Amino acid sequence: MTSTPSTAPGEDGVDLEGHIGHERWFAGKGRFWSITAAQTVASLREPTPERSGVRIDIVQVTYDDGETETYQLPLASYAEPATHLAHAFVGEEEDADGRTWYVYDALHDKESTGLWIEGIAADRAGDGFAFHREPTIRELPPGGPSIVVGAEQSNTSLIFGDTVILKVFRKVSSGLNPDIEMHSALAAAGSTHIAAPLGWLEGTWTDPSGNEVTASLAMSQVFLKGATDGWELAQTSVRDLYAEADLHADEVGGDFAGEASRLGAATAEVHLALAEALPTGLLERKELAGVAEGMRSRLDRTAADVPELMPYAAALRGAFDDLAALDEPVAVQRLHGDFHLGQVMRTLDGWKLLDFEGEPARPLAERRGLEPPMKDVAGMLRSFDYAARHLLADHPADGQRAYRATEWADRNREAFLTGYARAGGADPRQQPVLLRAYETDKAVYEVLYEARNRPTWLQIPMAAIHRLAAGEE
Amino acid sequence: MTDGLPEAHGVPAIDNFADLPDDQRDPHWYKRAVFYEVLVRSFKDSNGDGTGDLAGLIDKLDYIQWLGVDCIWLPPFYRSPLRDGGYDVSDYTDVLPEFGTIGDFVEFVDAAHARGIRVIIDFVMNHTSDQHAWFQSSRTDPNGPFGDFYVWADTDEAYSDARVIFVDTETSNWTFDPVRKQYFWHRFFNHQPDLNFENPRVQEAVIEALKFWLDLGIDGFRLDAVPYLFEEEGTNCENLPATHEFLKRVRKEVDAQYPDRVMLCEANQWPGDVVEYFGQDGDECQMAFHFPVMPRLFMGVRRESRYPISEIMAQTPAIPDNCQWGIFLRNHDELTLEMVTDEERDYMWGEYAKDPRMKANIGIRRRLAPLLENDQNQLELFTALLMSLPGSPVLYYGDEIGMGDNIWLGDRDGVRTPMQWTPDRNAGFSTSNPGQLFLPVIMDPIYGHQVTSVEAQLASSTSLLHWTRRMIEVRKQNPAFGLGTWEDLGGSNPSVLSFVRVFGDDIVLCVNNLSRFPQPVELDLRRWEGYFPIELQGTVHFPQIGELPYLLTLAGHGFYWFRLSPPEGEL
Repeated sequence: MTSTPSTAPGEDGVDLEGHIGHERWFAGKGRFWSITAAQTVASLREPTPERSGVRIDIVQVTYDDGETETYQLPLASYAEPATHLAHAFVGEEEDADGRTWYVYDALHDKESTGLWIEGIAADRAGDGFAFHREPTIRELPPGGPSIVVGAEQSNTSLIFGDTVILKVFRKVSSGLNPDIEMHSALAAAGSTHIAAPLGWLEGTWTDPSGNEVTASLAMSQVFLKGATDGWELAQTSVRDLYAEADLHADEVGGDFAGEASRLGAATAEVHLALAEALPTGLLERKELAGVAEGMRSRLDRTAADVPELMPYAAALRGAFDDLAALDEPVAVQRLHGDFHLGQVMRTLDGWKLLDFEGEPARPLAERRGLEPPMKDVAGMLRSFDYAARHLLADHPADGQRAYRATEWADRNREAFLTGYARAGGADPRQQPVLLRAYETDKAVYEVLYEARNRPTWLQIPMAAIHRLAAGEE
Repeated sequence: MTDGLPEAHGVPAIDNFADLPDDQRDPHWYKRAVFYEVLVRSFKDSNGDGTGDLAGLIDKLDYIQWLGVDCIWLPPFYRSPLRDGGYDVSDYTDVLPEFGTIGDFVEFVDAAHARGIRVIIDFVMNHTSDQHAWFQSSRTDPNGPFGDFYVWADTDEAYSDARVIFVDTETSNWTFDPVRKQYFWHRFFNHQPDLNFENPRVQEAVIEALKFWLDLGIDGFRLDAVPYLFEEEGTNCENLPATHEFLKRVRKEVDAQYPDRVMLCEANQWPGDVVEYFGQDGDECQMAFHFPVMPRLFMGVRRESRYPISEIMAQTPAIPDNCQWGIFLRNHDELTLEMVTDEERDYMWGEYAKDPRMKANIGIRRRLAPLLENDQNQLELFTALLMSLPGSPVLYYGDEIGMGDNIWLGDRDGVRTPMQWTPDRNAGFSTSNPGQLFLPVIMDPIYGHQVTSVEAQLASSTSLLHWTRRMIEVRKQNPAFGLGTWEDLGGSNPSVLSFVRVFGDDIVLCVNNLSRFPQPVELDLRRWEGYFPIELQGTVHFPQIGELPYLLTLAGHGFYWFRLSPPEGEL
């Protein structure tokens, strides 16, 4: 819903508001907003009557509370209507000569998308844009026709053939995208636990306030063909355990512990590589107290919102007090930042970690901050708990299954931590205070999220809250 | 027809090779063939002495032909003291008297050929029985003509890096011979001395023995235990270059005089090592068993995950064009677990050998049906995998009717019991007194011959036997199964193993649900946009492949075989 008539033309004459208002990646649905600036920042191909033109527009969205967001629109313009692209039609526009062009979302147009891959392969640069090929990559794998895949919140992803994936950031922020930065660093360090990065695109323009902005627009990686996401694989194991009458988690065919242990090892190896390649630091007592305070205030706010949490609040606060009281400084480094089973893929040569963007909702500067690796570890442990219990949400009073879920989560938690320590990561079990604080913080965050969005799932983090609070007594 | 076999209809013979002159035969027949391993002793007794024989096997050739088998693999039937199921050969050029005579063997080969069935036989090169005349001469006359036919030493210290294979019974690869007063080398049992291949006269003698059988008309050899022919200090004495050189020499001599004969090697090694046995240009063995894939099929289904299978297939190197893998689910040996990691082995033991008696050496001594708890869906899924993975399938006698095993019998005899033909006395295997049988027939209430027999399954069109025969027929109609490339399609569902086999315009898509629960799978089939999948068992046309992921749903342990048919006008 816009505050201006939906027919209001953008600078191009195309109804951009009508277009982006319906797109999945647009974050402003349900708010009052309007496009306050639009400009073409890069022309990847000039249009001719014979061949479509391809350009990248940047639009600024301003909300009624004054907040602004910047979005990227790759557009293809055709001299004649392109019926096969009807599903991606954006609008008609007239050029200076009075000629009408039919404009489509270029990412859906196989005739256009190749420009991104060719640009990366050639390190192409032009007015307002520059492609970069990863220094570790000599030659891009042969691509193929592109297809739009996935339903991501803030990006549009394309797969070329079955070898290359291109992630186009729809909502753009000034500066180097952390996903690009981290992948480049890990590739340079020779890490095998990522999908190899191939290159990226950045654009440069002057924003409405007159500041020059350089921002990452897209990145490309090797496509992990035929891989399975960790959540799916874990579900297979959990289902198997649920279906057994009397076997325990270590006895059933679908045991996941081997996978969990290898995942722990992969995580540790990535952490070590990041610590090697990117800045590290130490949290001294005062900074630790600040971290603990942040966690404590999140707990207090959540407890005020979610009455179920209140009885545990005092006990949970103890976890954060212990963190603030730690004698030793805590090592911090760059992290994955939003680590869970959905962010890892099982491939034929082991586990790969995906999406080093951090939590997309947080500001960029924060996402690039240094934190203890325990944060990622805690994220994955909480994810095991979700994997074990989310099927329980439909069977609220099934004591047998709840018992099995606990058994599964415990077994795979131990296996993950063992794998992590064996691969050279600091054994999280030797740092119980840190582990408990980060797990508690994550569980509190989940409580708020579930209470607001999925009340039937609230029992999942609450079971963990129960356990974490009891740990104090 | 004998045994009440229904008339064979429409089973295309691979070729009528027996009627063709040598130069017109398909030299690569083994790439498309379905093999059937049958133990002479266990299949059919013709003279009522309680032991199967060659004449009995001839009686049952119609059954084997009806099933659709292209090639019979005969494990050792040589003269032998039988301390290792006949793998302890005491005469390379004679038949065990209980089985018949050389004349019976020739009659058997001719009768098989007349039915379009080829015959390959086991040949044990690495060692002989200690009863072999060569060994007796060697131990009593160290300076005589056979003095150097075996590997002798004054101490038991050499080659200490070689592992002991039969860890259940052997403590060392050296055994002291009180006659010659020296130690002899043996990689298997201590009554099976290894031949000394460093001695050129041993090489000549072995090649002579091979030619003896080729001259009788056989179509090839399964070469037993080939990795161990040569020894070399400081190595594990497996897969040594000299061993490969000798095998290349054997191949050359065979090819020169006997075209279209096959050499199938048994090398229980990792795929990366096994490919060495194909030679650089396919100038060594044409076939090798793919050992590691088999335990992983069982593990994949137990884990409900394709990764154990997909990983080993991904680690399997390409092989020369004229070569082929032999794929099997079970055979006369235990389910070998040498080619799995320790972690996997513990797991497999825990899963499939709950009774410790089921363990033997580094493996599990069970037949297919008991391993799968007689679950018809799983039996069908495993058989479908056997027939569709890249390689030639090797069936084990009795598994086509879901025969059981007897874990209380010694060594590996539990999986070598008499074939169950009928519900009658001795399962129709023999007219002898039941007490005279070489091994008792299976009599338990699930797998016993009263329930599980060829006769009973012939009478039921939904039986495993009829199903297996139909699948063999379907396989033969699509050359991609034998000759095609292999590509794992992966996919988001870890429980579904999907792969494509392509040979020219024959494109076969196989989708296997390794889970006991129903599963959906979305496959990226954009390469075949516009094609129609046609299900191979019923020729049902499935919806056309589009740009979007192709959605299929599978029943628990269900599978599909499709041929991908191009859109009209592109044929």
